[in-house]
Amino acid sequence: MLSSYLQSGGVLVIDKVADWREAVDVVTRPLLDADTITDGYVEAIKTSISSPGGTYIDLGGGVALAHARPETGVKTTSLSVLHVGEPFALADDASHPISTMFCLAAEDANAHIDLMQALASLLTDADRLAAVNAAGSVAELTAALA
Amino acid sequence: MKIITACSTGLGSSFMTQLNIEKALKNLGVDGVETDHMDIASVGPTSADVLFVGRDIAEAATGLMGDVVVLDSLIDMENITKQVAAALERHGVEVPNK
Repeated sequence: MLSSYLQSGGVLVIDKVADWREAVDVVTRPLLDADTITDGYVEAIKTSISSPGGTYIDLGGGVALAHARPETGVKTTSLSVLHVGEPFALADDASHPISTMFCLAAEDANAHIDLMQALASLLTDADRLAAVNAAGSVAELTAALA
Repeated sequence: MKIITACSTGLGSSFMTQLNIEKALKNLGVDGVETDHMDIASVGPTSADVLFVGRDIAEAATGLMGDVVVLDSLIDMENITKQVAAALERHGVEVPNK
């Protein structure tokens, strides 16, 4: 179950963000508060997204998986998620509208396989993905992720 | 037969794609195909038979290997399954559940 990997307080729903940078700030906040990542990890995600090809974290279906290399500041493998009512443009690129941004903090390249399996089965299920993208509250999003 | 996926970090998008390719292989009834995920900088001509990448690093992946497949979505199982079946056939692997 994906919910078992989500940081406490790590499920967020807000109406809109000013831009993708604010989305990164919002989605990483629960992980900073829980001390599973450092400020350096947040900066590394922003640098990655604004670099050429940085929109590769757009998985499709309005979902992005924000992440960077472990050595940039991951303390503990953890996950958070933000859903916004109004999609934002990833890397200010209108061809990458994002409604749901997960933040993945992984300690190494393989240890988080169970988490990734759970995430993959959620996102490849059209009905479950639609429920995630339609969530209007933390309770609805939490239910869609369960 | 080996299929690899790659992204810039080698642990998020590429890992997700690898898991979805494994699911596609299972749906297609194909056994014995090795899969892995890595960062794009580590990919070389002998890394595998086929490389799958997302559209955003298609340019970086060009010419890294003989057979490169570019995906528009990393979670669209219908297209991933179709692309995996085509790749298997290009490399002479029989696909039972096409």
